[in-house]
This record gives sequence, structure tokens and C-alpha cells, in this order.
Amino acid sequence: MKTLAVLEQRDGKLRKVSFEVVTAARRLGGPVDAVVCDTTDREGCAAALADKAKAGGYRAVVFTATATGRDLAPRVAGRLGVGVAADLTDLAADGDAIIGTRPVYAGKALQKVRVTARPAVLSLRPNIFTPDEAAAGVKPETLSVTSSGRVKVSEIKPAPAGTLDVAEAQVIISGGRGLKEPANFKVLEELAQAFGGRAAVGASRAVVDAGWRAHADQVGQTGKTVSPSLYIAVGISGAIQHLAGMRTSKVIVAINKDKDAPIFKVADYGVVGDLFEIVPKLTEEIRKLHG
Amino acid sequence: MANQKQGDGSREQFIPARYQPSLPLDKLIIQDGSEGAGDRMDLDVLIVGAGPAGLACAIALAQLANADGSELNIGVLEKAEALGEHSLSGAVVNPRALRELFPDLKDSDFPFRMPVSRETVYLLTKRGRLRLPTPPTMHNRGYYVASLCELVRWLGGKAEALGVNVFTGFPAAQLLVRDSAVVGVRTAPAGLDRDGNPTAGGAAPNDLVAKVTALAEGTRGLLAQTWCQWQRVPSDNPQIFALGVKELWETKQPLDRVIHTLGWPLPNDAFGGSFIYPLEPNLVALGLVVGLDYRDSTLDVHQLLQTLKRHPLLADLLAGGEMVEWGAKTIPEGGFFALPERRAGDGVVVLGDAAGFVDVPSLKGIHYAIQSGIYAARAIFQNLQTGASLAEYDRLVNASYVARDLYRTRNMRLGFRDGFYLGGLRAALMTLTGGRFPGGKYAMHADAEVARHVGAETASNGGVSKVDAVFKSGNATRDTIPSHLIARGDVPPEVARFYSHMCPAGVYEAGDGGGSLRINAPNCVDCKATDVLGPRWTPREGGSGPKYKRM
Amino acid sequence: MKIAVCVKRVPDSETRVKISPDGKSLDEAGVKFVLNPYDEFAVEEALRRKEKAGSGEVAVFCLGPAAAQETIRTALAMGADRGVLLQTDKIPADPYETAKLIAAALKPDTWDLILFGRMAIDDYNHQIGSLVAQLLDLPCVTAVSHLDIQGAKGVAEREIEGGIEVLEFPLPAVVTADKGLNEPRYPALKGIMAAKKKPLEIKPVQPAAGGMEIVALAPPAERKEGKIVGEGAAAVGELVRLLREEAKVL
Repeated sequence: MKTLAVLEQRDGKLRKVSFEVVTAARRLGGPVDAVVCDTTDREGCAAALADKAKAGGYRAVVFTATATGRDLAPRVAGRLGVGVAADLTDLAADGDAIIGTRPVYAGKALQKVRVTARPAVLSLRPNIFTPDEAAAGVKPETLSVTSSGRVKVSEIKPAPAGTLDVAEAQVIISGGRGLKEPANFKVLEELAQAFGGRAAVGASRAVVDAGWRAHADQVGQTGKTVSPSLYIAVGISGAIQHLAGMRTSKVIVAINKDKDAPIFKVADYGVVGDLFEIVPKLTEEIRKLHG
Repeated sequence: MANQKQGDGSREQFIPARYQPSLPLDKLIIQDGSEGAGDRMDLDVLIVGAGPAGLACAIALAQLANADGSELNIGVLEKAEALGEHSLSGAVVNPRALRELFPDLKDSDFPFRMPVSRETVYLLTKRGRLRLPTPPTMHNRGYYVASLCELVRWLGGKAEALGVNVFTGFPAAQLLVRDSAVVGVRTAPAGLDRDGNPTAGGAAPNDLVAKVTALAEGTRGLLAQTWCQWQRVPSDNPQIFALGVKELWETKQPLDRVIHTLGWPLPNDAFGGSFIYPLEPNLVALGLVVGLDYRDSTLDVHQLLQTLKRHPLLADLLAGGEMVEWGAKTIPEGGFFALPERRAGDGVVVLGDAAGFVDVPSLKGIHYAIQSGIYAARAIFQNLQTGASLAEYDRLVNASYVARDLYRTRNMRLGFRDGFYLGGLRAALMTLTGGRFPGGKYAMHADAEVARHVGAETASNGGVSKVDAVFKSGNATRDTIPSHLIARGDVPPEVARFYSHMCPAGVYEAGDGGGSLRINAPNCVDCKATDVLGPRWTPREGGSGPKYKRM
Repeated sequence: MKIAVCVKRVPDSETRVKISPDGKSLDEAGVKFVLNPYDEFAVEEALRRKEKAGSGEVAVFCLGPAAAQETIRTALAMGADRGVLLQTDKIPADPYETAKLIAAALKPDTWDLILFGRMAIDDYNHQIGSLVAQLLDLPCVTAVSHLDIQGAKGVAEREIEGGIEVLEFPLPAVVTADKGLNEPRYPALKGIMAAKKKPLEIKPVQPAAGGMEIVALAPPAERKEGKIVGEGAAAVGELVRLLREEAKVL
């Protein structure tokens, strides 16, 4: 099953999701060609990718389900006369078809779709497929884009420094009422900094309601739904409203003084005790790792 | 605000009423034409509240108009985002009033879940149970288990099919008046920020003006209370309330009967009991109802329900099951002597739970609500046609089984004011004598006037936490909404703790030791317990609060 | 300005998901259906654009069952002028088939702007807008959180990882709306009354099977039981080791 993997790069370097795509594409069993578009002109890029997919006789074209990939994949699919099996968290060849698994209803159910369209256009949720070592050596072809689209990127504004959005962070450290007062969020901010720009500080509804943190930082049913690689819940008891917003995180760590707190039921790893002793120690250890 | 040491001197007590703000009548009653409204809409009849009473009234009115060939512009205001989402009851329904409202339909056409075929009443002890003979007032043969949410959605569909305008998501917040006449209501504004200022996307209040306004707001209705106070409409006894906390469970074990329990885990000086009803063999509604005249300030109905669930009777039934919904609501329990002397005035009638048409001994109110809606419709229709007085509504109710049923059991709930065992004996005698024992009437205090002794704090005993409970009520109220609860900031710690136990939805939190009262207003599920015993409840923007589906 | 908004009827976000006996779909008993929240942003944007232009039309298109008339009425109550229901009991599993039906319904008219929500909260497909743009050969901007239109030129912003992309495009175009684009208005009583009388056309459609089929719908796997690593600061060393070696997230 010959597959085309569409990678993403930033500042000339492949992003982690690119290796995830290569790894997952290989699961389909055939040779995998990797390409990358060196332009922000997605219309032009989509045209070139569609041409490439047709000319190369690919059985499947695999994208990332990032902001970029979600924009690009349907443009290519539309040109190929097919739909996208979007946001897959698992995939496998099934004879001549592909079976993809995708979370639906806000992750409350998993849908399995059988894709018989040719080519099959797929997009993959980031942070789900663990890249294997072979993927690290991938040398993608840089696609030459000739036609120019009608939509032009005139500017890319960087997000303000130091304010990584919780919805985008790979690591989230969230605090709850256990922090006791707003100033104590400093210990969480220090831990976030130790992760070197990959981490953001989140908050439970209780502390947002109390005015300790901004609503934009709130994780949960009425806040943001997040699924980072690592979620560290500090001093959060784990009301269902909060769990609804973070239960799809890959790894959950809970730090709480109450060993019966519901948060420990969803945590992969729990530490019971005084957060004001535990968190600074953790910060120290993470700094050593990233030292 | 020193606490009162009572006669025995040994225990600290307080009277909740001392800390309760009064109803802000000046804000709740405004002259028609007052500034501040956005849209204004003229109707023939305005009904406040799309519950069984309000919708029955709308349907009966539309039927009368259709039969007469006249046109009536009928509007129903409902604060819930969608029909039925603020409706909660047990419920076993007596179909009598529905049959009268829909003479062409059969019982099987009504949205009932199943007929009651078997029923059991138990007196519980911590581990044991004693089967009691079913009291005559509690016989439910021929009645049906139903979800009030489903019944309300069905009634709403019938009303709309008859041309009634049902406006969901619009809470009535103020009475519009001209002299002593009610001429309509003003709705609550939407889109206010935390400080109560309008935001860019907000919506101003609307004025709805009608020839007749029917207040069918349900239990502890704000505008019904306002009207009674404003027009000084007395009742023999003050209205008293109970709080019911209810859960819906999908069970692994089937249930084949309606069960009621008395006794454990309630203390002897509290009046109440539980209900366990199968909506389907494996879909069970269960709840605990406790009179708000309980004495121990730390009594917590939600926690008691969690305790009750550990009794073998329930633990066996619920094992392996899942709680799928949670809700809470108060119930007017004062009965006959707590009914307002009149439920009709100049341009206004009061229906259903808002008027207090509930019979506690039989645990029924829905059919009285529907029946009151039917009677109100007749009186309103006549009033519009001939100018006849709306007092006809009172005459119809007083001459009907509604008043008769309530009169027969007039002292039964009141008899429990002195505790469970004496109350039980009195109730038995009242039943034997057809309500004639003991003669006269028992005088009652309003719940907020009943002294509470400061109970000891006990650790939570597990079960469903209040935060999880609120989540299961479907409550997704905007976090940035201004508080809709009027509380005094200076309540002593024991009163703050009393509120925190009284409220099943975790709205009130007593600060650690300091006694400061924290109010998590978005948690509120509009059960109104707070309005009975403490901080006053006012409506918030439309669509706030719970989103009950099958309660 | 002549604007089309394409909307979907979806289960309310609070829906407790129960799988129907066919093992492939949602058990709809007791489920509350609403106008897809992202589509609400699209309807609001359309209304604001029309109001700003001072004239024009906002037409709402919806593919769905007969009950989706209620969804369209919600948009009409907000202020849209007319609705078209492409009626079918089955939403195709292949988004391309959905896009073809919507594109065919839009094609006979010329629109200045065609708006969609960036995705539906039930199937998370986020692609119908792009596919329709492709089928109608229109420029397309997706997941827009800010939109400016001057004459026949649009400027849009969309969030990407680590920044905001600013895009310029000519009208007519397809734009899909993200959260943050606007605050949808509260429905007005008069709007609700007026909506009852606005035109709502029902056109039955027959979706083709396409190249995708739903073979199963299942609850997500329960998270496996976690472990308490230890108590106090002394447990941190072990925690870090587990995160590195077992969970591989450090």
C-alpha cells in the first residue's frame, strides 16, 4: 500500500508531528514517500500535493491534524474527489481498505471508519502516535509549488512570549484551591519554566471563579478541553467538570494532600502530600533533566 | 446578631429568619411603562412558567378559543433553555386531570413510563427494614410512573400545536403593574458581566403585557410570593417546604415496584422519606425528601441521600449501576392551611406549586397543578369574553377535588412538626377519622422561623460529591454571570455552615474558621431551598441552571 | 450582501453518549439537539456582515432530518432571512458526499460569502467548508477567529500553533468560523415570533454511499488504574523516573 506522508516543518526543521505521521503511515504496510511543502500558500501547496498523489498512484495520503494539516488535508481531498478520514488516533490496513479510529462526541466515543475511497486521505491527531527511531531519519522531498492561490498569508504574528496557551501546550501544570492563595501559583509557574517553553499553567474552575486566574487558563467543561502529553494537576480535587476537560491527556500526574481526592482515580501517577514541598522538588528535578 | 441561648441553655441555637434578607418588593414590582425594557410584546394571556400547571392552562385556553372560533394570543415564558429542563418530580402521576384536559386521548397516549403494579413501604433502620402496610393515602394503583421532564416536553408540544407561543430561555423577573392590577412581567436581562453591567452581546429585558397574567412559576415562585406580599393575601399558616434531592440510575438489577421508605437515615426530629421508582425495569429514579423545618443546622439532604444509598435495600439495587442524572427541588408542603386565601386578583391568577396545590400524604401535586391550570383557563376565558371576575378560578378550585383532597389531609404534614413518631401516630388517627382528628388546625411556623441547634460537623461520607452532582444536573451556567442570590455578607460561621449543608448544589461554602460565606452562584440548580431558609433567589439570564432530561 | 450559512443539527455538548444497538451510531433517545455551536458563530457573523452592509440576505442551509427544521428556526430567530433544509434521515459517513449535496444546493445562486462553522461538535470532521469551496471553486479560509471585509477583499486571522496567521483573500469566498470570531447574540422574543413566519424550503436529497463507512462506535477505553507513587517530596525522584522510563513523556 503505497503511501504519501505529508510532513510539517517550522523554521526549516521538521516538527515532531512529522515523525508521528511517518511512523503511522508505515503501519499501512507499503512504501512511504514523505513530502513537505515549503510555502504558506496552502492553495498552491494543495494543488501540488494533489498532482503528486495522482501521478504517484498513492493508495493513501496522510496528514497531521494540526491547525495547518486540518486546513490542508480537505483542500487536497477535494481536488482528489474524496473526503478526509479526519483526526485519526489509530489506523490499520484491512485488505484493500483502511480502518481508522477517530474520537467523536468530544472524545466520549470512538468511531471506526472503513475507508474505501482512492486515494484514502487521512489526518492524524498529534501526540498520539509515538515516533519510532526509523522515522527520525526521514528525508522528505520538498514539493515545488508553482501555481499560486487566491488566499495569501500576509503576516504571521507570533504568540506573545511566555504566554503559551493551555490549548497548545505539550505540558500543562494546573492549579486548584489547594494552592491556597493566588500568589502561590508562582510555584507552578516555576515548574512550567523548567520545561523550557513547552509548558503552560492552567487552572480549575474554583480558582478562576475566585478571580485568582484568568478564564483563558481554565481547564474543564466550561473552560478549555486539552490533551497534552503531560498534565500535572496540583491541589485539584478533580470535580467532573475539570476531568471533562483533561481526561484525554496522554499522561496525568496528580499531586494532592487528600489521598481520597477523585483526581487520583484518573491520574496515571499520584503523589500524596504537601504540594509546597513536592512541586519545588519536582521543579528542581526537571531543571536537572533539561539542564 | 448574637445567637440566642434557648431555654435548656445547653445548646447554641439560631433562627434562620434573622439572617434572611426580605423580598425586595420595590425592585420586584414596577409600573408598566418603566424605563429599561428592550422589546415590548402584547398578549391576551401571559403564562409564567412552562410546567404542568402553566402548559395545561395554555392548552385549555387554546382549546376553549378554538371551540369558540375566537383567536387568543397566548404566550408562555419559561426560564429553562428548553422545555422540561427545570422540571423535576418523583413522580407517580394520577392521570385524572390529564384525562380531563385531553378527553379524546387514552392513558396509553400520555408520556408515562409504566403503570404502578406493586408498591411497598418500608420503615428503615441502619441495616434493617420493616415492611409497613401501605397507608391509604399512599395507594398508587392505577397511577403511572413518569418523568416530569418528559411530561412537560409532551405538553409543550401539544400547546405549540394549538398555536400557543412558548418562549423558552426567558425568566420573568419583575411584575409589571398599574395601580393594584398586574398587567404583565418584565424578563431578566441576558449577557451581564460579573459586576452586573451589560456586555456588547447582551440583551435588554423584555416587557410582556397581557390582559391576564397566570403565575405558574412552580415551587416558591418569586412573582407569586411578590404578589401575595404586595396585595397582602394571607394564608392561615405560612407555607412550608421540603427539599427533595433526586438521582436517576441505570441499574443492573431490575426493579418491579414503587418503594417508599421512612425512618433511617433521617433524625427523629426531621420529617421526610425516600422514593424509589422504576421508569423502566433498569432505570430507577430515587430521591430523598426532607422538610425544611429540620432542627439540626448541619443536616444535609444530599449527604443523607448518599448515606441512604448504602442501606442494603439500595446498595443491592444500585450495585454495578451508574448514576446518569442528578437534581434537586423544593416542594410546598403546607397543604390546605397554607394556601393563599385567594389565588386570583386584578389581572392575575396563581397556579400549581406556586399556589401550593400539593398533597403531602399522597405525595402528589402534578395532577392538582394541571387541574388548577384547567380551572384557571376557564375563568380567564370567561373574563376575556364577558369581563367576569377572575375570582371564578378560586370558586372552581374550592368546589373541586383539589380543595377537597387537601382539606381531608389538612393537618397530616403539620402533625409531624413535633417529630416523626408522634407525627406518625397522629397521621394514623387522622386517616382513620377522615381528617377530623384532632379538629381545628395545627399552627405552623415558617421554616425560616424554626430554631436550629448548631450541630456538629461530620466528615463527608462519600457517595456523589456536590460538585459532581451539579455536573450531572447538566448545569453549564456561564461562569461569568453575576450572582443572582441576595445574601447578607455578615452571617456568623454557624449560619454559613448551615447554608453550605442546606444547599444540595454546593453553592454556599463556609470559609475555614473565619466564617466568610463564599457563593458559587453558577452551581445553583434553582431548587429554591436557599430562598426558603436563607439568601434570596432571583432569576438569572435565560437558559442558566440545570438541564434536566428525565427527572 | 448575499450570504449563505451552512449549519448542522448536533447533539448538545452535554450529551451522555450511549451507543445504539446497531453498534455504529448514537442512541438518540432523550438526546437534546442544538444548532452546532461553531455554526452559531457563522450565523452571527453573517448577520453582522449584512447589518453592516445595510442590505442583503442571509440564507441558512442545513443537511439533516425533518427535525432539523428546528435548528434552522434557531438561526431564523437570530435574524437569518430564510432557510433551506436538505432533508435526509442519514448524514453520509463520507464528508465528501455531504459537501456535494451542499455545494449543489448553493450553486444555482451567487453568494458574496459562504460561512460554515469550523467543525461540528459531533463528528469532528472539520472539512465540509473546504470541500464545498473546492467544489464551487472558491477561495477558502478556515478556522477564522477575526474577519474584516472591505468591498470585495477580506482579511482573516486564524490561530496556528504558536501564532496567528493573517490571510488576505478576494470575495466571494468560503469562510469557516472558530470560537472568538464573535459573541453570538441572545435570541429576542420578536425574533422567535418572526422566525415562525419566515420561509423554510424543504428539499429531499438522496446521499450516495461514498468511500467511507462507519463500522463501529464504541465507548473509549477506560483509563487504566493509576498508581500512587508515594508520599511527599521523597516520591519525586521515583515520579520523574516513571515519567521518563515508563510513560516516556520527559
